[in-house]
Amino acid sequence: MYPLNHTKEGEQVIVKCIDCHCDDVCRLNELGCVEGATGIIISNQKDVIFKVGETRLAINNNIAKSILVSPN
Amino acid sequence: MEQTPKTIALVGNPNTGKSTVFNALTGLRQKIANYPGITVERKVGTSIIGGVLHQVIDLPGAYSLNYKKLDERIAYQALIGSYEHEEKPDLVLAIVDVTNLDRNLFLVSQLLDLKIPVILVLNMMDVAEQKQITINENLLSDNLGVPVISVSAKQKEDIERLKNFIATEELKAPQPLAWLESFQIRRALGKVKKEWIQPCTNIPEAAHDTEALRLISEGNFDEVFYKYQDKEKGLSVIKQAREILEQAGENPMAAEVLQRYDFIDRCTKDATQQTTDSSLSLTDKIDSVVTHKVFGPIIFASVLLLMFQAIFSWATPFMDFIDLIFVETGNWVANTMAPGILNDLLVEGVLAGLGGVVIFLPQIIFLFFFIYILEGTGYMARAAFVMDGFMTKVGLHGRSVVPLMSGFACAIPGIMATRTIENWRDRIITIMVLPFMACSARLPVYALLIAAFIPSTTVLGIFTYQGITFFALYIFGIVMALVAAAVMKRFFPSGQQTPFIMELPAYKMPKWDVVFRNVADRGWIFVKEAGKIIVAISIVLWFLASFPNVDEQEYAQNAYDGETIESYQLRHSFAGKFGQIIEPTIEPLGFDWKIGIGLITSFAAREVMVGTLNTIYSIEGDDEDIVTLKEKLINDTDPETGKPIYSVATALSLMIFFALAMQCMSTIAIVRRETNSWKWPTAMFVYMSALAYVCSLITFQIGSNL
Ligand SMILES: Nc1nc2c(ncn2[C@@H]2O[C@H](COP(=O)(O)OP(=O)(O)OP(=O)(O)O)[C@@H](O)[C@H]2O)c(=O)[nH]1
Repeated sequence: MYPLNHTKEGEQVIVKCIDCHCDDVCRLNELGCVEGATGIIISNQKDVIFKVGETRLAINNNIAKSILVSPN
Repeated sequence: MEQTPKTIALVGNPNTGKSTVFNALTGLRQKIANYPGITVERKVGTSIIGGVLHQVIDLPGAYSLNYKKLDERIAYQALIGSYEHEEKPDLVLAIVDVTNLDRNLFLVSQLLDLKIPVILVLNMMDVAEQKQITINENLLSDNLGVPVISVSAKQKEDIERLKNFIATEELKAPQPLAWLESFQIRRALGKVKKEWIQPCTNIPEAAHDTEALRLISEGNFDEVFYKYQDKEKGLSVIKQAREILEQAGENPMAAEVLQRYDFIDRCTKDATQQTTDSSLSLTDKIDSVVTHKVFGPIIFASVLLLMFQAIFSWATPFMDFIDLIFVETGNWVANTMAPGILNDLLVEGVLAGLGGVVIFLPQIIFLFFFIYILEGTGYMARAAFVMDGFMTKVGLHGRSVVPLMSGFACAIPGIMATRTIENWRDRIITIMVLPFMACSARLPVYALLIAAFIPSTTVLGIFTYQGITFFALYIFGIVMALVAAAVMKRFFPSGQQTPFIMELPAYKMPKWDVVFRNVADRGWIFVKEAGKIIVAISIVLWFLASFPNVDEQEYAQNAYDGETIESYQLRHSFAGKFGQIIEPTIEPLGFDWKIGIGLITSFAAREVMVGTLNTIYSIEGDDEDIVTLKEKLINDTDPETGKPIYSVATALSLMIFFALAMQCMSTIAIVRRETNSWKWPTAMFVYMSALAYVCSLITFQIGSNL
């Protein structure tokens, strides 16, 4: 498991754990970024664009750090 | 559906095509206004379905019913019938983007709990076909327990099919909590409902499940919209409910969401087929460049530069044409009507004032055209993402970018758009600095002064000094907004920072008919709103600038050498005298009393300045040769010294004043409404106007001594 901001462009990952403020977890969940969801890294240049299903999520570095993923 | 009029609500995530369906269902039978007392847009219309006239409401887009923002709360309240300004719907059309079904079904799974009949509308089927996504509607309908129909909202025949489907379906509320399998969540939910929501709150019964789940997940009820009693008991019940889940090894914050997604998975698993394509789509490829940490900001700046250069050069022929029409009409009226007060009032008051503003309509239309294209293609969201790091450094938030960009068109929609910023501190700073963004009302003033005083020499092949000055003024507005934000950041307690999480929609071709309709609406609003005040002010001003009459003898005795009788008359009119009283205050900025009158009237609205100058200069000018305001400004001289009134330094100082001063009553009113206090609009007015005075003073003093 490693934080989302340590991934590479094009990498496919599974979300394992989200460990940030409650409101942010809720927002991420509503947008489809839940534990167990699979996705692909579109871009990672400190801030990350993470595509979960068909949803492209722009996530800043602080939040990306708190989303733990593992390779799919 | 029964043959009686019903209320149908359209609900869905942002960008799923709700407005497209709404427009297609209602056609021209629609009304767009704000909900009373707040600035959330309310769209209502009527549609004939199965021979009966039904009411259709397009509710604000929401990702879930766990409201975090005002728009989401309104949608939720409207659905459960607790919003006094909205009827509880008899039917919900849940509009989902079928290419992103699972995510969209999260909100739908919450709608199913509200005990209202729901029809699931799978929109964007054309895109789904391209992506080789197939849906078994019947199976999906059986799994979810609601009727399902696939459409492409852009196709007329699909809308007809949708209407027939609505007309023939039996309206039945689905089974609530069909997604809920966990016994522990059921226990916790039952506890909160029975022990607190039912006895202690007035929230409608249909929402009890949804609200109990929301409270368990959030852990408190700080921002609820309904009345309640016994807060202590409420908090204790919620705590106990959360403990039930924790003891069972579940996370109270996530348990409900995970169960809902499990349910969605079960519903869609066999009902949808999609060829898994892990290669990057065109949108993804574009994004890797457009959101690149180096290219992204460069692309953003280039888009802005190109936009403002285009506004300036493309609009010119149209502006010249409008100018010609007003000048010719003025000449025609002046020569055709019998001379006298009415003739003067029409030519020098109404036509001059109105013409001075209508001329800028082409630039305003181009500005809105670009803004709608940037929004419609999906680029605005990328701009927010690209700028987030930088914005956070200066005390703003990535989400501030879209309101700030809207501020280029008008501060009012920009201030309204700050509602998407969840953190109060980020929001208030964005509101306070937003009026620095060069709105379209400043455009007439900039355009007039630049055209008159900045040379049109070409640089680097495609740019002109005029275009660059224009761009520089916009950049100046942005820089001042950022500096002000950085300063304000120091005065506000830091609190918890809201991190940037945003959905980036797929790039799309904008829907041209919608773009053109919106642009036309905006243009019309500009002419109507500006026209109303400008005509009124022009008439009053014409009176103040034309009376009292001076007689020829007095003129012969007292006039300066070479001063025309019209100039003498204006200088001794009510307006002239008032202007001269305030002149000492504004003289250090390079302004004479005529500009002073313009400044005073422009505190009602910035664009009034040009109308005012036009009226004043028309009164002063000789009726025989009506020339454009630009020429009048260039040729205006001080009757005492014979020197030109306007120099490049005066023009720059005036533009800087307009760039910084808070001259818009409507903005003050909207800030008052959005912040619910007079403190913020007052502070805004004082600091912006003081800054404008100081910066204009510095500009003029340096400029005139160079
Ligand atoms: N290809 C395709 N595009 C569609 C369809 N329906 C809507 N769109 C486009 O999707 C975009 C969003 O549509 P809107 O109707 O504005 O969506 P909305 O749900 O009202 O969006 P919000 O106002 O943000 O809540 C627009 O560019 C539409 O032209 C469709 O069936 N097919």
